[in-house]
Amino acid sequence: MAQCTVRTATVFGIEAVAVDAEVDVGAGLPTFAIVGLADIAVQEARERVRSAVRAAGFNVPNARIVVNLAPGPLRKHGTGFDLALAVGLLTATGQLNPSIARDCAVVGELSLDGSVRAVRGMLAHALAARAQRRPLLGPAESAESLALHGLDYRPLTHLAQLRSGVPAAVVGALPTVLPSDSEADFADVAGHDLAKRALLIAAAGAHNILMVGPPGSGKTMLARRLPSILPPLDDTERVETALVHSVAGIDDVPALAGIRPFRAPHHSASIAGLVGGGSPPRPGEASLAHNGVLFLDEMPEFGPAALQSLRQPLEDGHITLVRAEGRLLFPARFALVGAANPCPCGFRGDAQRRCSCATGVVERYQARIGGPLMDRIDLVVDVARVDPGLLLSRGQSIASAQLRDQVLAAREIAAARDVADNRVLTGVALLSACALQDRATRFLEDAARAQHLSGRGVTRLLRVARTCADLAGESAVTVEHLSEALGYRAKDGA
Amino acid sequence: MRALETSAPRFELALGEPEYPTQLAEAPDPPKVLYGIGDPALLVPGLAVIGARKATPYGLQAGALFAGWAARSGYTIISGGAIGCDQSAHRAAIDAARPTVAVLGCGADLVYPSGAQRLLQDVASLGAVVSEQPWGTPPQRWTFRTRNRIIAGLSAALLVLEAGLPSGTFSTADYALAAGREVFVVPGSIFAPECRGANRLLSQGATPVCDVSELAAALKLVLPLGRSCAEMWQLPDHCASDDPVLTALRTHHWRPDDLARELELDVVALAQRIGALETAGLVARFSDGRYGATAPR
Repeated sequence: MAQCTVRTATVFGIEAVAVDAEVDVGAGLPTFAIVGLADIAVQEARERVRSAVRAAGFNVPNARIVVNLAPGPLRKHGTGFDLALAVGLLTATGQLNPSIARDCAVVGELSLDGSVRAVRGMLAHALAARAQRRPLLGPAESAESLALHGLDYRPLTHLAQLRSGVPAAVVGALPTVLPSDSEADFADVAGHDLAKRALLIAAAGAHNILMVGPPGSGKTMLARRLPSILPPLDDTERVETALVHSVAGIDDVPALAGIRPFRAPHHSASIAGLVGGGSPPRPGEASLAHNGVLFLDEMPEFGPAALQSLRQPLEDGHITLVRAEGRLLFPARFALVGAANPCPCGFRGDAQRRCSCATGVVERYQARIGGPLMDRIDLVVDVARVDPGLLLSRGQSIASAQLRDQVLAAREIAAARDVADNRVLTGVALLSACALQDRATRFLEDAARAQHLSGRGVTRLLRVARTCADLAGESAVTVEHLSEALGYRAKDGA
Repeated sequence: MRALETSAPRFELALGEPEYPTQLAEAPDPPKVLYGIGDPALLVPGLAVIGARKATPYGLQAGALFAGWAARSGYTIISGGAIGCDQSAHRAAIDAARPTVAVLGCGADLVYPSGAQRLLQDVASLGAVVSEQPWGTPPQRWTFRTRNRIIAGLSAALLVLEAGLPSGTFSTADYALAAGREVFVVPGSIFAPECRGANRLLSQGATPVCDVSELAAALKLVLPLGRSCAEMWQLPDHCASDDPVLTALRTHHWRPDDLARELELDVVALAQRIGALETAGLVARFSDGRYGATAPR
């Protein structure tokens, strides 16, 4: 047998696209060539395969070896083809049982000593193999995170193991780490009662929130504790989120364990860093925060273009990248948490320090976030510096565990309405969800008139009020909920 | 720096010309030439209404109340076009469709502050935008201090809405006293840094103005106009309140967190109460997140 085709795949976006590795071993000068738009990492597979095959006790034929990666026009990246090439080579030269190449999809990187290493995007490969109803032969170290229902995973530690055929399938289970293990707890934060309440509402309704306050007032400290009150991911969300993490090459076990991602990119982040890009295209921070929280500290300091690039994901829940190779869709349904100083010097409205900024400068600074983005932020809360006496008093600060119970109860009520998050409620669905009585309607009209609320402003107010009602366990939005929500509206009443 | 887009005519009045406003000519150090856009005949003695740029809702409401009343009573409202109190005074006169004069620190054909295009257009069409700076002169730090002299000189009396410490308002008050104009001041809370300057003017001898009838009586002595707007605003008796939240906000500006702790209220209950008071128009939120009481109706 001089030819063999092995099924493998390459990651494009968050998808594993099927690739056939055709290995031909024939007469001629001894060479090893790989064709089919393979990048440098794929070309280097020759050396790894040669050494690994020898180290595993097999023979590398003294012949002309040609590998074709099909389909030809697709660019192939990365080191995941190593194992497939080795299997193809060994099968073509009769050193392996042909059933391995016939039945399995094969993905994995080879070490020079023949051991099999994990590659990024293993979860994408697993999902593709499951969709094709094929067993997936891959690195053993990925087995733990690939406990997908319906996947037949064959873990391999060393190439030599193949001599005894395909390894037995593993049955794993999704890892279970409870989010309560996170160390940051709201109980450690003194004061800031209103900001905590606003974050509770944001967590319960998955609302976007902006915290405004002077430096050192505790905005970042508060934001870092938000994950401790978020509900765990459900099973579908776990896989969706872990998939993005997997193709980005970061640890996907926390997401598979149900912990919502919390991403906090620095304000020097580029557009590609935030929404994804590069070659090959990689998901950005907004996608890594899928089903979780994207925290932008010092929000007005982000580049305006980078900041505005978040408008599409905030609206649609995904990012579309258009490249010469095709159109890519990265999921990016996240709750945005922003923190901003009130002015460039940071001390506007501070009780002790005097603000040194001119009025016009303050307005320009606050306008940097921009109207369209502010339109998508449901809650704005002021965070003042806490009195030192209060910091030291160590009073009865509410703990994250209690807050998380409230979030879970509120989400249960919201789930009964059959809408994912209150953040996405609009129009008729929002109105019917709120079930306003006459008194509440009149109050809303008065408030809208008094505060010059725009249509969007009213929508945001209603969404937040709906979550307040969920937290109170009530089916209808009343005057109390609307009046509380009013306090979280954006400054200029828009 | 953008130009003022208006169809109102330009004028230049040299000191000594018959159209040059008499009261300004008689004040100390009158400008040699007064450049303006609008109607020079409206540069009659009026009420100057000024205050801090970083205004609180208190100052803005006081501006709307007193400048609105004075405009409806026939007084020309003179101010500096600045953000905050000045603009609230101009806006009150514009809303009453009465003449108002803006004295700028840059050339009268330029828009400064940059967001005031619309406001200055309205001022030019109802009254006049004037300056001693030649056309096209960009604003300088010192030109604002010297234009305060013109605000004082054009007016018959000066009303200070709100002033912190230090404040540019003091220079206008000094010019007004030098020109022999009456200085009225709206008193503020002794706890609020935003009111410290205004209260100091009062302790130095300025006339306090606590409601419209007081302003009316004081203005009648300085500048009798023959007629006066009948409506008289006073703090209504029905506003006496036993709501601790409203009472606290009337005496002081509070952050919700601090007020909840002071009143030993749950922060959610307090937020709900403040929302209701805000909708009723009794309290307002400052741009820095604090709340304070507003003019009750």
